[in-house]
Amino acid sequence: MTATSDAHGQLRSGLWHTINERYPGSMITKSDDVPLASVRKPLRECRLTFVSTAGVQLKGSVPFDTVHPIGDYTFRRVPSSARPADLEIHQIKFPTVGAHRDLNVIFPIERLQELVAEGALGGLTASFFTFIGYNMDPDRVERDLAVRIADAVVEDQADIALMCPA
Amino acid sequence: MSAQVRAPRVVFAPFMMGHHFGVPFHRELQRRMIFEALDHLVHAGVSGEIRVVPITWAQARKEGRAIEEQLR
Repeated sequence: MTATSDAHGQLRSGLWHTINERYPGSMITKSDDVPLASVRKPLRECRLTFVSTAGVQLKGSVPFDTVHPIGDYTFRRVPSSARPADLEIHQIKFPTVGAHRDLNVIFPIERLQELVAEGALGGLTASFFTFIGYNMDPDRVERDLAVRIADAVVEDQADIALMCPA
Repeated sequence: MSAQVRAPRVVFAPFMMGHHFGVPFHRELQRRMIFEALDHLVHAGVSGEIRVVPITWAQARKEGRAIEEQLR
């Protein structure tokens, strides 16, 4: 059985304090909740998009700048029809040992394609969206990068979004 | 972290960083994580609710190793 936590309960106590101590000012903290948006139609009719910080991108596209001291505030479009063999990871801040053997452990593109083929989902947006998680200016992430990705998601006519950090 | 940023709907499993949908070649676990998210999307009652998937990383790795043995 799957459990749900208390709202806002911290799963690893003390983690946030440690992060803020080591990387002051680098984390987004919110004091208010985002109102829940309702799902307006059955999932089998919904077009899903996937947004990831895994730094996955098409082979041959401009690599993310993974060594810039304050991060890379660009994003890449990844065709949702792509095969894992078409893709590569430009991100050095998370363990990629599993992803290099099976990309679906962090970027489950084949599983999502299967769910559409089986009729569990209505479809996928033309593109998925990726960026890198190492961005040390949270205001710039929120006010610039996230806004541009959100605009692109709307442009791609997504009904629902699955988002995953890496 | 998800709680701190007040993400409206969150699914959490205690997996290794960079492996949030499970382990290599474990198709059913990867699908399960997606279905947990989709189910939470539909059924979450309040903003900020975190669904915790009751599976350990050790269990996921054990299942993954068994699958890889079968694939050899």
